[in-house]
Order: sequence, then C-alpha cells, then structure tokens
Amino acid sequence: MALNIFKIESVEVSNNASSVTFSSIPQGYTDLVLKFSTRDTDAGTASHFGIIFNGDTGANYTSLFIRGDGSGSVLSFSQTPSYIVASYQSSAGSTANSFGTGEMYIPNYTGSNQKGVSLESMSETNNALAYMNMTAGKWTGTSAITSITAKQTIGGPFVANSTFTLYGIL
Amino acid sequence: MAITSLKSGISTRSGMVGNTLIYPGSYESIASASPSAGTAYVDFTSIPSTYTHLQIRAICRSNDGSAGNNNGIYARFNSDSGSNYSFHFLTGTNAGATGAAGLASQTEMFINAVNPRGGDTANVYSANVIDILDYANTNKYKTVRALTGDALNASGVIRLFSGLWMSATAISSIRITMEGNFAANSQLALYGVN
Repeated sequence: MALNIFKIESVEVSNNASSVTFSSIPQGYTDLVLKFSTRDTDAGTASHFGIIFNGDTGANYTSLFIRGDGSGSVLSFSQTPSYIVASYQSSAGSTANSFGTGEMYIPNYTGSNQKGVSLESMSETNNALAYMNMTAGKWTGTSAITSITAKQTIGGPFVANSTFTLYGIL
Repeated sequence: MAITSLKSGISTRSGMVGNTLIYPGSYESIASASPSAGTAYVDFTSIPSTYTHLQIRAICRSNDGSAGNNNGIYARFNSDSGSNYSFHFLTGTNAGATGAAGLASQTEMFINAVNPRGGDTANVYSANVIDILDYANTNKYKTVRALTGDALNASGVIRLFSGLWMSATAISSIRITMEGNFAANSQLALYGVN
C-alpha cells in the first residue's frame, strides 16, 4: 500500500506567540508528522521549545539526544523536563531572518501504549557554530493524542513567520 | 471539487456514488531526473511557488573512479553563486566515530558529504531526504534539513545536515551538483508538499 501523507493544519505565527496548539486532531491516520520552521526572541543564537501532548504538563516526558554544534563536538545526553525538548531553533542572536527547522514523527498516535517519537531539529545562522539534535522522545501517556502544543519554555516567544505544519499519514 | 470529511478532515476528489475514492495526498511530484554517467549537475527549474514545502529524495553515487566514500553533493538556489550559504552537520560512522562541523559564507550549500565513488563497493548509492521548509515565504531566509547516509560492506556513514540560504526570495530553481559527477543510475526526485 502506498504511503500517503495529508495536511491536517498549518499555522504561521503572525505576531509573537508563546505557544501554538493543534487541537481536535483527527483520529483516522496511522502516524503524525509535524514540520516546523521557528525562531524566537531569546538573546542567544539558539534555544529550544517544548512539545506537550493532550495538555499534559506533568513530569511524563523523556528526551534523549545526539547533539552537534558545528565545531566537532558531539554530545549524547538525556533530559526529563515536563515536555519533549525540540532543540534547536534560531534566536535573536542568529543571522537576521534565519529560522531553525525540524520535524517530529509520531507513530501510532492513537494507540494505547506510551508514545515514542523521533525528532530532528536545528538552529541556523551564518556562523560555523550552530546546533542540531537527533532526538528520541517519549510521553508516558497511554491516551490517543488529540492535541499537540509547541510552547516556549526558556526563550522568548516564537516570532512572526515561524511556521508549523501537521500531517497525518496513512 | 474536493469534499472534506467532517470526521477525519480528509478530502476526496469525488464523493459520487460508485466512484473509487481518491485521496489527494500532500506530496506531488514536480520533477525527477536520472542523470547519465558523468553529468555534473541536475537542475530543477520553474518550481511552482504554490506548495508549503519542498522535498528532494535522491540516491546518488559519484562517477569519480577512486575510492573513499567522501564525495559531496552541493545545492545552489536561483543561480545564486554569492557567499550566501552556510551549513552544519552531525555525523556518525560504522567505526564509532562521531563529528560535527560547520562553515559560514559559502558559495553553495553542502547537503551530503558521503557518496560512494567508483572505487567503493559496486552498486551502492547514498540515500538522501532533503527538506526545504517555507521555500516560497518571502519574509524569511531559507533553511534546509537533510538526512543522508550510505552503508558499504565494511563501512558507512550517516549525516544530518542543515543549511541556510540567506535570501528571502522564493526558491524557483535548484541546482544539485555532484563532486566528481554523477554515476549512472543516480536518481533525484523533487516533490511539492502541500
């Protein structure tokens, strides 16, 4: 059977926004994909945002990373904040008009098991130093995912022209 | 006229009784290329600005006769040969080695540094998925994300790339250049993603 992908919804931030939510996600797909191109107002050259499912802000998430920084340094580590960490995105210290980019894949989002995700995201700037992560994430929730929120957690808000596109896969 | 299901949000092209339902997926083929051996580059031109994102899927091998699995693929947009590109990557190998690197103010964008060459294992090609988000958004510079790699018999490399083209112009053409030229049976396909 051919793989088919369908746009569910896209959001383009028009004014600074601290979060973006996809709600009432249709339950008829097999997997979900979220593509994003984001920048925030944090003073640094890179920051991150968090992704939560079904409004769950409890300590129910784990993120495991492989990180590169453009200089030969590679780290592997994990974090357990109350969201899946989407690192990295461009910030106010990045080259003007540059945005980070990323994609999160959510298999079996309607299943009754805990939800594992894969995610790649990176900041971009015209400098040899920039950050990128390959991430494995987990939400311990066993409910079907009906909403996804991308929210700023350490930096300022998403700036205008940040975009999020959610797809369903059959 | 597309008909949208209130339950699932999925659109169909026709809801007429007796018709097979056809689901209009978000991926549409724009163009594909199978460069002959020795071809230096592939051009995708007249790219419509009507999609949300672009994606290139490619299998590639260099026509360079030596061995070493390290010839690169480069991208250039809208024929811009100025120093308007930067790129970064994260890499891992079968031998356990990892690394990361980046360069600013380049004249083209590095999007894959590992392609088998003529002296490497025969018939092996790199696999490449290259996303260009918001390619027609004139309010932002363009960022590229590429996941690439190849697996030879006794070696292999995987790399995650990101790249920046410092232009707010909508992307209307893409040139993909292979270091050492393309080998026969390399294939590149450009998709528009709604």
